[in-house]
Amino acid sequence: MTAVHQFVPALLPRDATGDHTLALRDAFRSAGWESDVYVEAAHAELQHEASYFEEYPGRARPGDVLLYQLGTSSPVAEFLLGRPEPLVLDYHNVTPESFYEGWEEHTAAKVALARRQVASLAPRAVLGIADSAFNARELASLGCPATEVVPILVDLDTEDAAVDARERDRLAVRHGDATVLLFVGRISPNKCHEHLVAALWVYRHLYDPDARLHLVGPAVTPDYAAAVFAFAAELGLAGAVDHAEGLTTAELSAWYGDADVFVCLSRHEGFCIPLLEAMRVGTPIVALDAGAVGETLADAGILLPTARPGTVAAAVDRIRRDRALADRLVASGHRRLGDFAAATTRRRFVEVLGAVAGGERVVA
Amino acid sequence: MTPDASDPAGDAATDVAERIRYLDEVMAEIDAEVRRRRASGDLPAGLEAELDELFLEFSPVGLHGRARLRETLALVDGSAYVDIAVPTASNKAVGAYVKRVIRKGLGWYMNFVVAQIVKFAWSVSRMFHVVVDHLEDLEAAVELTASPDLPVDVAPAADPGSSWWTPAAVDALAGVADRVLVADCGDGGLLDLLDAAGVDAYGVDPSDLVLEPALARGLDVRSEGLLDHLGVVATEALGGMVLTGSVQWLRPNERERLVDLVATRLAVGGTLVLQSGTPEGWAATVTPVVRDLAPGRPLHAQTWAHLLSARGFAVGEPLTGGRDERIARVGEGSSDADSVNAAIDVINHLLLGPTEYLVVATRER
Repeated sequence: MTAVHQFVPALLPRDATGDHTLALRDAFRSAGWESDVYVEAAHAELQHEASYFEEYPGRARPGDVLLYQLGTSSPVAEFLLGRPEPLVLDYHNVTPESFYEGWEEHTAAKVALARRQVASLAPRAVLGIADSAFNARELASLGCPATEVVPILVDLDTEDAAVDARERDRLAVRHGDATVLLFVGRISPNKCHEHLVAALWVYRHLYDPDARLHLVGPAVTPDYAAAVFAFAAELGLAGAVDHAEGLTTAELSAWYGDADVFVCLSRHEGFCIPLLEAMRVGTPIVALDAGAVGETLADAGILLPTARPGTVAAAVDRIRRDRALADRLVASGHRRLGDFAAATTRRRFVEVLGAVAGGERVVA
Repeated sequence: MTPDASDPAGDAATDVAERIRYLDEVMAEIDAEVRRRRASGDLPAGLEAELDELFLEFSPVGLHGRARLRETLALVDGSAYVDIAVPTASNKAVGAYVKRVIRKGLGWYMNFVVAQIVKFAWSVSRMFHVVVDHLEDLEAAVELTASPDLPVDVAPAADPGSSWWTPAAVDALAGVADRVLVADCGDGGLLDLLDAAGVDAYGVDPSDLVLEPALARGLDVRSEGLLDHLGVVATEALGGMVLTGSVQWLRPNERERLVDLVATRLAVGGTLVLQSGTPEGWAATVTPVVRDLAPGRPLHAQTWAHLLSARGFAVGEPLTGGRDERIARVGEGSSDADSVNAAIDVINHLLLGPTEYLVVATRER
């Protein structure tokens, strides 16, 4: 029987990689395969879903294929380097350490280790699966013998859950008719929140003095987050920037739905799931063309070549003034979402992993 | 091939092409709006630089050298004290009381443990202070030995007014979508040419004085040294870069740092344009004192090609220009023509050839 077992550093609830891993396991089991999840650590809510990676050698069977969900550093990488089974990488990208230098040296060291682990694993793998062509190019440049682009498995169909009406009403009362710019993502230097604040300042100066910026995401780099909010305060925007984290799916949908424009000025993205979430809710998108953002967005938003605040502000204003443009972007977003349909992605994963398990892909 | 109207795949391709064309038009209108705002003064040229600099005031990344070291040390000092006075506020009245009881009850235990932790932390912090003091002494000593004073009226540079290379630089950068940095931009002449070619360029120059004409014309220029500026530019934030001026007299360690910064700040696919005097041209124009004592000197184009290739750049054939005082070869009629021409070739090659060159490179990885 075909067996594809997944390894992931941490299995967390309400986490893109965690959700992806469990959804893939279910897809593999539905295909009639054996599939278990092995972890370095699991959140208490999900401990029953996984085993520790050290337990795998006692359960290994001939013909097993190992799939590693790679997005951070972990002892799991060293463990897999020593295993004889065919290894497939599912690469979600690792932020270059240069973004963290000066802000958080221990995180810089951690991501540097992760990138070294990617470089060690890539030539050892029989196949690298990447969320985006951007990630695939990175794997190939590190010596991965073959790559396939298959998006991350995000079940946006089932996530079409209720919008939290109370949260939506609260937000609407708070800002009235003012323009709302939204960004969703952890507050981390590669996401460049300072450019969002600068763009808000220019937008208020030129177009709408009451405009607001909504930031949703955990402040994972506290010094950087403090600098962003201090920068906003220095510009007189302390009352115009709202921050939220730990939202439920329904609350998050309310924040998306409340925004006039989703603005992403991140300098490094391996895929960017929030773009898909904005498309699902129907929020027009303005995004900087960096990393994999351009290929994820395609024609479903205004793709900027620069994060200069004047250009960002002008793009937001254009969407605010031009209803036809906003409608076209939303329609393009809904069309683009079809390319990431969960059923299609599940089928692609089964095809690609099935080829490895069936020996159609030559094992190095 | 024109898509067939009855072909669904062809229709889809037409739709996609139409949507892309529409978005291109929208983007062109957004660019026009930005240009209009700049021209009207709504978006002053220095605004973005001011916003960048303001954010850097809150950023440890904005500090350099000793300031950054001392700032980090202050953070260590600040973290070395452990407060055992745990907050006891609570939403429930009884909660605050319970917390106070726990704090008081555990105080004797926490005090004992924390006192040792704080002592250890302060010892470590003290050690870092000693290391930093020692490091600063060493840096001062190295600076003293590394750069003897030179006569102030000479600089190991190409002719600052030289412009033979600017059309080629503009050609190389035309079509670059993201921002282009012009180092040692001076009065902004090249920025004007790039702007006319539709390139989003800005400049840095360490001298306030030479920047004045550029500022008066509303150009986006910043009074900053090249290395300091690149140190705070985000990774892969630039679509192009022009290096000239100070690139010719960097010390070896500065040159290494520059190449590292260029290879990370320029986006993959970005264009680097480097203009420099030749070592021969430089040696022929400076005094023996400068020639002997200059901390840095121009490199050959081949050397830059070597350094850049090692960092993932594809480097084109260099263009040459500047003064060219090569002696013409003698005619073939003379019996000594061959030996005279061989001597002329040597002299031309070593002393009298083109005094400047231009290298264009593309970051490939």
